[in-house]
Amino acid sequence: MSLAGLLALILGMSLTAYALFAGGDFGAGILDLLAGRHAPERAAIEIAIGPLWEANHVWLIFAITVLFSAFPAAFSALGTALLAPLTVALVAIVLRGAALGLRASLEAGTRGHMLLSRLFGAASAVAAFAFGLVAGGVAVASRSGGIPSIPWTGTFAIVVGALAVCLCTQLAASFVAVRLARAGETRLLIRLRRRGLQAGAGVLALSVAALAVAASASPPIFRRLTGVALPLVLLGLAAATLSLLALVVRRYRVARAASLLTAAALVWGWLVAQSPNLIGTRLTIHTAAATPPALTAVAIACGVVLLGVPPALYLLFVMFARPRPEVIE
Amino acid sequence: MAYAGGIIGLPFSLEGAAFFLEAIFAGIYLYGWDRLSPRTHWLCGVPIAFSAAASAFFIVTANAWMNVPRGFQIVHGRVTQVDPLAAMFNPAWATETSHMVLGAYLATAFGVASVYAVGMLRGRRNAYHRKAIALGLSMAAVLAPLQVGVGDLLGRTVAAHQPATLAAIEGVTHSERGAGLNVGGIPVPAHPAGILDVKIPNLLSVLAFDRPNATVRGLDTFPKANRTPLAGPARLAFVGMVGIGTGLVALALWYWLRRRRDGTGPEDRVTLAALAAAGPLALLANELGWLVSEFGRQPWIVYGVFRTSSAITTSPGLGATFTAFTLVYVGLSALTVWSVRRLAARPLDGFPAPGVV
Repeated sequence: MSLAGLLALILGMSLTAYALFAGGDFGAGILDLLAGRHAPERAAIEIAIGPLWEANHVWLIFAITVLFSAFPAAFSALGTALLAPLTVALVAIVLRGAALGLRASLEAGTRGHMLLSRLFGAASAVAAFAFGLVAGGVAVASRSGGIPSIPWTGTFAIVVGALAVCLCTQLAASFVAVRLARAGETRLLIRLRRRGLQAGAGVLALSVAALAVAASASPPIFRRLTGVALPLVLLGLAAATLSLLALVVRRYRVARAASLLTAAALVWGWLVAQSPNLIGTRLTIHTAAATPPALTAVAIACGVVLLGVPPALYLLFVMFARPRPEVIE
Repeated sequence: MAYAGGIIGLPFSLEGAAFFLEAIFAGIYLYGWDRLSPRTHWLCGVPIAFSAAASAFFIVTANAWMNVPRGFQIVHGRVTQVDPLAAMFNPAWATETSHMVLGAYLATAFGVASVYAVGMLRGRRNAYHRKAIALGLSMAAVLAPLQVGVGDLLGRTVAAHQPATLAAIEGVTHSERGAGLNVGGIPVPAHPAGILDVKIPNLLSVLAFDRPNATVRGLDTFPKANRTPLAGPARLAFVGMVGIGTGLVALALWYWLRRRRDGTGPEDRVTLAALAAAGPLALLANELGWLVSEFGRQPWIVYGVFRTSSAITTSPGLGATFTAFTLVYVGLSALTVWSVRRLAARPLDGFPAPGVV
């Protein structure tokens, strides 16, 4: 594999990690919005977000730095064509983080707390939707022309945006459900299970709808989705179905694993379907790549990340795996 | 923008790595108070400090590259001969990164002292407050003089590689042989060349080129298209930064001289008020330093290579984006002040409410 290909793989992996972890965070915000004034449900969601809500965005920052350094031409084209949706996503991420942080300084049940919660939830939904628009738009970007046209306001992009919102909600619902099942909170669990079923049905329906829209609106991408990326698309649909079935029979751990698998399979289905193109057919992994010395430097930097970050992340996860243990020495 | 990443992407990627570690350990630190032993918890602060400093270092090497671009050649509009290490370790990397990191630590040092000086002004004159002020000023006593030296070295870097920037920030309109250092020369709307001129003969030539009779190029020797249109603001920011820096050095010196003589630090209202102001002023000096770097480099985004006007995005809606970000910043600032005030008013567990001590 070429160095550019390797870096594209690393880019895909960090985007997947972002989709799974930050997707769960966005979903938690959406669940908070859907929970209305039901205080115990919102408290359960807040506990499930835990300490990861800010570290997760680093996956996106890392993906952006790799794109900037290894594929500068694609970075420039994406930044130009997608200024509006990316700005919306960025503002939404900042607002949801700020709202969640500021909310902690207020008593639950006060008006300010409620307002900040609504901001947190709405901004989470907007961020997920905007990222879906971007992914959908890039997938069907036009195949020629000097400045790539990325139809992020097209039907396909909008369907993918809605799909992203449902996917995030389902991810978060399955995570919260596992926690509630372990704690034996049966009444809350019923509510979260219902959310999970609704979101899961949305994921399945919108995945099929996205394929149908692609078939009519963008035949090239449809051919790729049903060709080279077919195993991943089928895996995604199967995992989405499994996640629903697992919720029906109350196997929450299975539902959580299946919804993680759904998200990963759909992200990789998208990436494989458009590989080796980054945007349209002009900007590919090879034509947009920086010079070999620059790629080598970025690859070394990625190596540093691979050496340092997984152990630190492991430490973080181990520490929070068990709720409130006795002091560890 | 379409090529910058291929040249100066290395420090950005490394900054991504450092930021990653910082975020993870910050998560452990913030949420780990009751899950870790006090010693382990404290140790988790070490990677935060290291990776934060590393982040600052990597990002500022990129800014240094924008000021003194190296490590590539442009042949027929195409970038060739890219050398990422030469780009990262350009002639300005050492002085610019040291200046920024020291500036950040100094702002923290004076910030800590400032908080407790306000406490003492409000009557909380106890050992806790005295120690906190001494802690902040110990750091300042070491770093502030060092910062003066590093600032001088950075000035020489600018003199050697960014002559148009030097002319703008030092307010040199016409070329001068044996140029004096103007410690006044503050530009105001009516007098863009500056008022309150106080020139120390030959000092600018000595500081910039080590020779009392060296010639310092004036702004008028550069083609109009290559002069910063922000010469006034750049000069103002520079005078402000240097002025605040000098004041902070004097303040640290005054504190320690008094402390040596009297055994305790000065606690008169004037000194305490100066210490209280020093925190925000040190932060302001950092911001002014960034303005010097950015205003002084104009009209270039990458000095001598790439103009800001051609770097701006061709995407529509730039005004809307700018307005949106401005509103978000203003709104977040207001919310932050409000929430910090609320948190400050709330008593800590095990401590009496503020104002009672």
